[in-house]
Amino acid sequence: MTEPILRLSGLTKRFGEFTAVNEIDLDVEEGEFFTIVGPSGSGKSTLVRMLAGLEEPSGGEIALRGRRLNETPANRRPTCMVFQSLALFPHRSVGQNIEFPLKMRGVAREERRTRAMELLRLLRLPEAYYGKNVTQCSGGERQRVALARAFAYDPEILFFDEPLSAIDYKLRKTLEKELKDIHKETGKTFMYITHSLEEAMVMSDRIGVMRAGDLVQVGTPEEIYTRPRDKFVSEFMGEVNVIDVRRGMNGRASGVGIPGDFLLREMPEGFESGHLVVRPEYLRFIDAPGEAENHLRGRLYNEYVLGSRIQYQVRVGERVFMVERLRQQAFRGKLDEEVLIGWDAKDSILVTN
Amino acid sequence: MTAIATTGADNRRKPRMRWLSLSSGARYSLPVLVLLAVGFVAPLIAVIAFSFAEPRSFAVFGAPTLENYRTIFDPANTVYLSFLWSLFFAALAVVILALLCYPVAYGLAHIFGRWANLITLLLVFPLFISENIRLFGWVLFFIKNGVLDGTMKTLFGLEVQSLLFTPPIIVFGMVYVYLPFMLFPMVLGLSMVPRDVVEAAGDLGASRLQIFREVELPLAMPGFIIGGLLTFVLSVGAVAESKVLGGQSVIVITHDIEIAFTYAQNWPLGAALSVLLMVVIGALVLLVLRYLDLDRILGRR
Amino acid sequence: MAGPGKSRAKGWIGAWTLAIIVFLYLPVVCGVLASLSQSRYFAFPIARWSTRWWERTLDSIEIGILIQTSIVIALMVTAVSVVLAFMGALAFARYNWRGRKLFQRIVLLPIFFPQAVLGLALLLWFNTLGLPLSWHTAVFAHLVWIVPIVTLIISIQVYSFDPALEEAALDLGATRWQVLREVTLPVLWPGIFSGALFAFLLSWGNFPLSLYTTGADSTVPEYLYAKMVAGYTPGVPTLGAMTTGGAALIMIVGYVSWILMRRAQGAKS
Repeated sequence: MTEPILRLSGLTKRFGEFTAVNEIDLDVEEGEFFTIVGPSGSGKSTLVRMLAGLEEPSGGEIALRGRRLNETPANRRPTCMVFQSLALFPHRSVGQNIEFPLKMRGVAREERRTRAMELLRLLRLPEAYYGKNVTQCSGGERQRVALARAFAYDPEILFFDEPLSAIDYKLRKTLEKELKDIHKETGKTFMYITHSLEEAMVMSDRIGVMRAGDLVQVGTPEEIYTRPRDKFVSEFMGEVNVIDVRRGMNGRASGVGIPGDFLLREMPEGFESGHLVVRPEYLRFIDAPGEAENHLRGRLYNEYVLGSRIQYQVRVGERVFMVERLRQQAFRGKLDEEVLIGWDAKDSILVTN
Repeated sequence: MTAIATTGADNRRKPRMRWLSLSSGARYSLPVLVLLAVGFVAPLIAVIAFSFAEPRSFAVFGAPTLENYRTIFDPANTVYLSFLWSLFFAALAVVILALLCYPVAYGLAHIFGRWANLITLLLVFPLFISENIRLFGWVLFFIKNGVLDGTMKTLFGLEVQSLLFTPPIIVFGMVYVYLPFMLFPMVLGLSMVPRDVVEAAGDLGASRLQIFREVELPLAMPGFIIGGLLTFVLSVGAVAESKVLGGQSVIVITHDIEIAFTYAQNWPLGAALSVLLMVVIGALVLLVLRYLDLDRILGRR
Repeated sequence: MAGPGKSRAKGWIGAWTLAIIVFLYLPVVCGVLASLSQSRYFAFPIARWSTRWWERTLDSIEIGILIQTSIVIALMVTAVSVVLAFMGALAFARYNWRGRKLFQRIVLLPIFFPQAVLGLALLLWFNTLGLPLSWHTAVFAHLVWIVPIVTLIISIQVYSFDPALEEAALDLGATRWQVLREVTLPVLWPGIFSGALFAFLLSWGNFPLSLYTTGADSTVPEYLYAKMVAGYTPGVPTLGAMTTGGAALIMIVGYVSWILMRRAQGAKS
């Protein structure tokens, strides 16, 4: 068990009456790609800005390899941040931008140039770009320049503040993969902020979910996905079906508002009430109740084609449930027809709050 | 109930203040504040103090008296007439300028495109020419045997009455000098009207006049108000036009103030007149600036 | 909203604007014409043309001193106002601080104030302080009016300044000094430059403030006014045309430099 490269203890930030970051404890391992996910206003940006030294904590401690970092000013921390707007210096060329951290520390011109060329290669930019004006670069190129600049002085940790949120889908997907590759190649510790869980799932070794200043759950993408700690986390990653349940008889949970006694994966001790979460891809159409461990009766209400998948909406009483199937396995039912949907206990998640 | 991924409806106001150090802004404001305190506020306070001094004296530390104000408000003296003239002229100038400038402002904001910069340059440049030079040019134009008279005589054999040294020419002068001060705030105001809103209004069936009244005017209003206010305030305090162009046909308030300060050697009276002028201007300006969001007008995103 | 109606409206607006421009420059043209008249008294159409008044003005020592005084004042005003206004603009537009809205209004006040009255008030104030009037006091008087204007001009540039640029520079290892030198000043430079240009030209052509605060010294506008009132010669419009020409030259050079600067920065918005 190696010592974490970054340890946050009780890190807090208050703006007057408002608490943006609330006593966060977190260990980040060296070399990992750690992503903090959360909706806007959850405090994730503030958290990262404190780590970079751009915001002063109201309480708690930041330690880098065991050394307290709180009092170190931003320009002396061995960390670098890629900003949301990229913050490329418009009055400088690509090369000058990349060399900036080196210039600030008095590195000689020849050495700077060599390093800049190295970085251009690492970031898959043509060497000819060295003298190019940054405002003439495309969106993807600008991202790479910003990254190269952050890498220039070999920081221990790199922070990313939602850098891909303003780009179109296709470019974003490309850059996500590249970022992941660069992470593997360089072996550096990345701390990434985003509001898109999908993005986090693609790139991260571990994910931390934030909500209203609290770190609600930390785990691998797999853990977050299959064992969300609460309703918020489970809903955060996309459309899910949620049934409010109470402790019922025979080790089952009985639905509140939805008739039925449902078999769970496991019934925790002292469970009184909570939510049953079933992902759309685990719901299926069945012909008879016995074909699945749990079932619901409803009417086929609508269908949406989502690229390679189709989502069906089934009306059960007042509520709508979503069933997802691959295109090749389209359900041949008619709208307004009565249907049975079912799932197995192992595919459901029980959350208590 | 469909459960959809929440984006966290965090309606709490998040103070997104990027403070590099706590009182940066305050620190940077100090030099200008000091300059204005010593060079603007202090002289005005001195003027106020002087307005309560013995008439015709230069000593400000005597016992305060209201004698100067009584002199002003005494109907027997015609000093208050200057005031009324100034207010009247200024109001007239504002109205005339609003009409004159609107088409140009509209052109600059929406029509001239690439030429807008050049045209703006041409319109701004006169500000850098001293007032007297420009007004004197008009004297050369309007005077007997001047450019206008001479041209009329040569071309049409007409003898033109000199328009100089009459009240209307003073308004003319004000309109001329303060044109840019009405124009550019108007341009600023019009540039605050998003193009697509205007197009949507047209698409929804509004006529040109209706678009102006319902969409453009309300949205551009802050700019128009600033232009009107600036022009009014500057015109009320203007003196060059009445002296150079108007001769002595009308004495405006600032001219009266100047006379009190120089020829009449009655500083306290001049100070009292100034105070009244300041009160009028100050009240107007503070009233209007209260309701304007300067950040939005000047271009903050 | 297409069609012939629209282009007709455009035509009208263009013509109207042209008329306004002619209106603005007509007196300037009259002045130039008057400066080229040979006779001492002005009569139009000009009987005999001559450049003798131009020659006389260029040779005059008295005028030379006036021009020098005006230039010195303008340069001092420019230097001081750019420094003060730069800081003021940062307070005006860059940082969120508690008194900011109030500060904005205070800075605007001298602009919304008639200069002649300000000049007289300063005269009174200087007298109360026992300060002798000279070109020094004139510089101060100019500053009171010009610093707010330059602050506004620079603020407009500051509004489009991305604060992340400074943060990024810090994050990348720059000291506060380096941030100012390497990022803040270069990016804000076009605004600062325009501000300096305005400061110089506004001071150069200023009359109301100079009139009451220069004391024994005299600037070109003051001299012109005195001559206009009593003792007109074509030398007056000549000097007027010269100073106008000088201002035009400065403005053109300034504008061209400004365009080049923006281009070097990769023109944004």
